[in-house]
Amino acid sequence: MRATFWLQRLAQLLITVFFVTFGCSLLVQLLPVSPAEILLPVGSPEERALLTKEIGLDRGPIGYYLKWLGEFVRGDFGDIFYSGGREAVSSRLAVAFPRSMLLMIYTQVLALSIAIPLGIWSAYRVGRRADKVISNTLFAMSSIPNFAIALVLVLVVGVRLQWLPTLDYQPFSAGIWEHFKHMIMPVVSLSVGLIAAYTRLLRADMIATLREDYITMAASKGLSDRLILWRHAFRPSSITLFTSAALNMGGLIGGAIVVETIFATYGVGFEVFAAISGRQYIALQSIVGLISMFYVLFNLIIDVAAGFVDPRTRDRRVNA
Amino acid sequence: MRSKYTIPTWFAFGWLGFAVFLAVFGSFLPVDGYQVIHGDFIDSPPFTPGHWFGVDSNGYDIFSGIINGARLSVFIAVVSVGLGGAIGSALGITAAYYRGRYDSFVNSAFNVVLSVPNLVLALALVAVLATNVDINQPVPAWRRLVTLIVSLTVIIIPILGRIARAATLAWSGREFVVAARSMGMRDRDIIARHIIPNVLPALIAVGFLAVGVVIIAEASLSLLGVGIPDGASWGGMIARGRNDLEYNPHALYIPIIALAFTVISTNHVGDVLRGKLDGREGRL
Repeated sequence: MRATFWLQRLAQLLITVFFVTFGCSLLVQLLPVSPAEILLPVGSPEERALLTKEIGLDRGPIGYYLKWLGEFVRGDFGDIFYSGGREAVSSRLAVAFPRSMLLMIYTQVLALSIAIPLGIWSAYRVGRRADKVISNTLFAMSSIPNFAIALVLVLVVGVRLQWLPTLDYQPFSAGIWEHFKHMIMPVVSLSVGLIAAYTRLLRADMIATLREDYITMAASKGLSDRLILWRHAFRPSSITLFTSAALNMGGLIGGAIVVETIFATYGVGFEVFAAISGRQYIALQSIVGLISMFYVLFNLIIDVAAGFVDPRTRDRRVNA
Repeated sequence: MRSKYTIPTWFAFGWLGFAVFLAVFGSFLPVDGYQVIHGDFIDSPPFTPGHWFGVDSNGYDIFSGIINGARLSVFIAVVSVGLGGAIGSALGITAAYYRGRYDSFVNSAFNVVLSVPNLVLALALVAVLATNVDINQPVPAWRRLVTLIVSLTVIIIPILGRIARAATLAWSGREFVVAARSMGMRDRDIIARHIIPNVLPALIAVGFLAVGVVIIAEASLSLLGVGIPDGASWGGMIARGRNDLEYNPHALYIPIIALAFTVISTNHVGDVLRGKLDGREGRL
């Protein structure tokens, strides 16, 4: 039973990744012009023919895809072409990926560490003024796009107050404070929407959990409210929250395009944008494939994790 | 009699109605066109006589820009949510109704599209679709608009499609559907008479949320420089305002406020509608 379940999940994962990457490779071939012409705008016909052969575009849709896939699984994501040279996508991603990873982790940590207490508190005070204030404020915040928050932060904190630098990324080696100084604004602008979303999810689940009999039981035993909330109610209520947090990871790695561009953090999202504005279709195909792979992978990981946290979900999820 | 809606809800309806009004009748209002250059008023702050919202550093009146942006935002949102909703719900409803292989195909297609972040997908589609045969010529404006709408539609299809599928799954097991089927009613008529009327409210509620998604996506694309060509949408105004936010911040925050109000309103209306729906289901 367990084995077939995991095989099923794995098959789903592979199928999704296959279709995304195959779709991307079809898109590259649907271009009205040969990518070689775009990648080598001043190249001679011989050079272009050579490049077409190298990329595998002369092999037809299936052949092209297989060649791309073969290189992709070996870690060769193609090249980025610019006038006078080329650069491997993998070496660019080696720089961009850790940055996006850090950005994603900080964002999630910040969002969860604010959302969990807020969600628990507003579920505990459901219907009271505190709950209403929290819920309404967060609702408004969740509707404000992250780039709007980013731009307002740049204007107020960066330009007017001059507290934080508005551009660039600094590695740890430049100093911990230096590193965080450059991360605060991107992380805050990405977190605001997530805080709102997470608080809502947790609040809804907590309200349902707090109506359960075992909570009444715990209260009648004389346990303190604090203990009941954190020990007994939080854990069973947290599954939706963590599922949604995990689903956001893939999106945060590649989807923070605008915020990464505004703050010049240059993570994976920026690489997507650079590949598109530079018309680097081969690079784009690899990066999009990679992002979707992360998305499904996190999806799978959270399924495993949810099974550990709440054994009841193990079999329910097969059809979900 | 007490009103069915609370004050914020009326406010949201009011704002959305106002935006739609501006979109439809904005060009008949006695205001200058958004591309008229007011040379004497460059960088005027808000509340300058004749230019309530101020003028940006190009000399464009921001109030006119907001009106024109409302037209574009509403147009794009309505068209792509309408198209995406129609295609998505057609797929979702038939998939859930007929089940089988077709259903698993449609469902995995939705999952595939959803596994690519919204903006990445839209950007990739815009990049590919807006490529000219002659790569040195810029793509004409109408084609970029069509491309933009197509990409936003593709984002919406799986979002609304999944809602339609889930709702249909729930309804098609109901007794009255089984009864209709056993009486020999044609599938087409069952879907039209029994499924669609019941699925539609949920779709409309999520449709409002989808409008917010589309407006934000369009603005993000504009910020990245691949939105509506001459920067006439709210996103385009934000992108332009970003360039000199130090001396002329109102050119940035006024379109941001307009955009945020609109998205808050659509989300709120979507939420209220969904809440009413749950209430209706609960009473059954």
